[in-house]
Amino acid sequence: MQSVKTQDLGLVSRSPRELAWRRFKANKIAIPSAVASLSIAFFAVFAPVIAWIINVSPTERDANAITARGETIGILGGISWNHPLGVEPGIGYDLLARLMYGSRISFMVAVITTFATVAIGLMIGIVSGYYRGRVDSIVGRFTDFLLSFPSFFMIIALSVPMIQRIEKSGIARYNSARILYLILILSFFGWPYFSRIIRSQVLSLRERDYVVAARALGASNRRIIFKELLPNLWTPVIVYVSLALPGYLAAEAVFSYLGVGVQPPSATWGLIIADSTKYILNEPTYFFVPAASLILVVLSFNLLGDAIRDALDPKSEQN
Amino acid sequence: MAKVKKSTGIAIAAVLALAVGAGGVLQLGSGGGSSEGGTITYLTHSEAWTHADPNRNYTGQHIAWFGSYMHRTLTAYARAEGAAGSDVVADLATDTGRSSNGNKTWEFTLRDGVSFEDGSPITCEDIKYGVSRTFATDVITDGPTYAIGMLDIPSAADGSSVYKGPYTTMDNDTAAYDKAVTCSADNKTITFNLNRAVGDFNYTTTYLSFGPVPKAMDKGDAYDMAPVSSGPYKIEKYKAKDEMVLIRNENWDKKSDPIRNAYPDRIVVRFGLAEEVRDQLILSDSDKNSMSLDSVLPTNLPTVFDDSGKPKSEFATRALNVYDPYVTYAAVNVKKLPCLDIRKAIYYARDYAGLEQLSGGAAFGGDPADGVIKPLMGLDYAKVTGLDEFTPQGNPTAAKKYMDAAKTACPDVYARATDPNRGIYFDFADTDTSKKAAAIWIDSMKKNAGITMKFNFIEAGSYYAVVLDQTKQGDLSRAGWAPDWANASTVIPELFTEAGGFPMSQNWGDPAYKAFKEKSDAALAEPDRKKQGQMWAELNQYVMDQMWVIPGVFSKTQEIWGSGLGGVFFWEPQGAPSFGDIYIKK
Repeated sequence: MQSVKTQDLGLVSRSPRELAWRRFKANKIAIPSAVASLSIAFFAVFAPVIAWIINVSPTERDANAITARGETIGILGGISWNHPLGVEPGIGYDLLARLMYGSRISFMVAVITTFATVAIGLMIGIVSGYYRGRVDSIVGRFTDFLLSFPSFFMIIALSVPMIQRIEKSGIARYNSARILYLILILSFFGWPYFSRIIRSQVLSLRERDYVVAARALGASNRRIIFKELLPNLWTPVIVYVSLALPGYLAAEAVFSYLGVGVQPPSATWGLIIADSTKYILNEPTYFFVPAASLILVVLSFNLLGDAIRDALDPKSEQN
Repeated sequence: MAKVKKSTGIAIAAVLALAVGAGGVLQLGSGGGSSEGGTITYLTHSEAWTHADPNRNYTGQHIAWFGSYMHRTLTAYARAEGAAGSDVVADLATDTGRSSNGNKTWEFTLRDGVSFEDGSPITCEDIKYGVSRTFATDVITDGPTYAIGMLDIPSAADGSSVYKGPYTTMDNDTAAYDKAVTCSADNKTITFNLNRAVGDFNYTTTYLSFGPVPKAMDKGDAYDMAPVSSGPYKIEKYKAKDEMVLIRNENWDKKSDPIRNAYPDRIVVRFGLAEEVRDQLILSDSDKNSMSLDSVLPTNLPTVFDDSGKPKSEFATRALNVYDPYVTYAAVNVKKLPCLDIRKAIYYARDYAGLEQLSGGAAFGGDPADGVIKPLMGLDYAKVTGLDEFTPQGNPTAAKKYMDAAKTACPDVYARATDPNRGIYFDFADTDTSKKAAAIWIDSMKKNAGITMKFNFIEAGSYYAVVLDQTKQGDLSRAGWAPDWANASTVIPELFTEAGGFPMSQNWGDPAYKAFKEKSDAALAEPDRKKQGQMWAELNQYVMDQMWVIPGVFSKTQEIWGSGLGGVFFWEPQGAPSFGDIYIKK
């Protein structure tokens, strides 16, 4: 990051990166959402350490925190010094620990899925945008085909047979198989959106003067793709990642809620929320805590994504 | 054979078994006299009835429901509260049966004017045909098999009956069946010849599988979806995952049926409701004339009942919390787990208190069981001794003691139980609550005994079909059982002898089995009821000494219904509400 002062004119020249950072800082919601997102990620990554420090555990029942008939003791779902967010009624698990450990699974699914869709989308988008012609039309029809699928229903309908397949093949069992299924199927249906964006970017980039010049100089396709095109695609990648990540976090919660994701005793947020709906009349706090947490996470990651997009790509529409 | 517990999670299910002065059953909701008319709606989470075929109905609740509305039998339980409900009264027959030949021959004469829904009269041949279907165990699955066990029909070399039911034509000794069950010349009197003295055979005939089936209408397996009615209602519509509608059977004559009432005009069963939705519909009283066929979700119990388990004032006339006939337990597959010390360690390591909290507390879940015979069984129950080390939270000292003993006594099983990669496998029906229960089991086994416990979750609808298959059963399997009537002859031999109807414990590899079998046979043959009771209690004690089961709870059940219904009471012998006596209040 270097800035050369041109004193004569009183002008400052800045690199695109600097400009983006300045725009980012100028955005009022950018810093708070970044802080919130990073601290949530921190809680997820260091869940075991934090749980150890505040002495809570996601699998250790606190039989004294619930009554003989399973109701939480105390106000607001048993919130106390020992259990900062209360306990799970019926079984007495600490809710904060459950949420922290649950978010690890949610984040794992979201991060891996995002990474996979970016990798596949990038590759296919570049290939079809750069080579055009027959390759483009074949790949294009295939992405059309995938995009026209009612993916939401497919994911639910395919879950039982696919998970059984995975378990039978011996790759993964029980909850691991379910996590693997979610990652595979979300990636499978997720990449076409991104490859469309990349394809259109590449279509315009490949006609730029520097690409034409490179080709005229005899550069190989490989060199053009990696040295000329790819560096110019980072902006859409970053923007896409920042928006896809919270999207997949929410998707994981929705599918867990519907019973496609992991099963107890493991917990993800969707599963905790699904469980809490049974207690909604008698233990409302147990519902509100994880629901509010989910809103907070998705909201802060979305706002952060918006801020990054605005900073990197100021010409794009604000919406 | 007997009433299998529906494979729900923890101990919650239907209601009280036979007899024996059980308290807590009140006539509820009796504001205003009984009245005819209207539509009663039943709500259930199940996608359909397990079976509607009278030969295949086996759970107490289903027998109570179909017995009240559609299927008549030779004899039936009295429609009365409390112990009086366990009296047998005549239904299709004119009396409760006449025995001769030292209780080995039983005779029933049919009433005049009894008919099927198409108006054709019910004859002895129809009942004989109905009973014959029991023998076709390949087609008519899941039903009680008392007819096979009791009728005087020889066995083939492989131990099965030489009579294979009405659908088999090859190698089928129909003559043997015709000899065992005979009809009089006027086709009105049926005679059963039994292979042994059965003093309470008229209790057996309360089973719907001793009811009539018209041969012309029988479609084998498909009869399950379209059974012919002999009772006050007939099927207008029955579609799985949707609904069943019953309308009045015009050919049912009240004069020929002194025990049944027919209050509503229509009866609707709505299937496949989400459990939450089902409970909320009743709790909010949005359809005043509806009743839940399932137990209340543990999470909704605090809404309906106070801490002591009594209905709160706004539910006083429309909720019930009573002991049901069931005992829940974990059946030990003794073949796979031939190590008494490990079995004991599992029993003592279990966090009973945690499981109880999960089920909503002792006021709803029930009391810790000390065997498979419930105290409600009176004569047959005696407190089991030798379980003094039991503590509700789990007793790590006792568990470790037995684990140490197992280390030398049965090193193979010990090595497997403590190996994190192998462990002990437990079969559970796949429900949300059962997964939480599994977590409690896993934790307490690890912590108190160092045992690795793993779970096979089996789809709830096919649970018993899987675990009753000996090749698919794990080390432990969750089960529940209720006596068919107030005699442990419907418990001990059924659960623990190889020929029993529900032998999940698979204990016949156990060296102790032979002596046990002999004692069980002796008890079955014992004519002195009091002495027989003592023998059952001793066998129950023995089962616990050998830990052939890890006992769960003597369970309770909760029922809720809308404020528009009256006449609901708990029908003890079936462990379910007496559906036929429910009416819509004026």
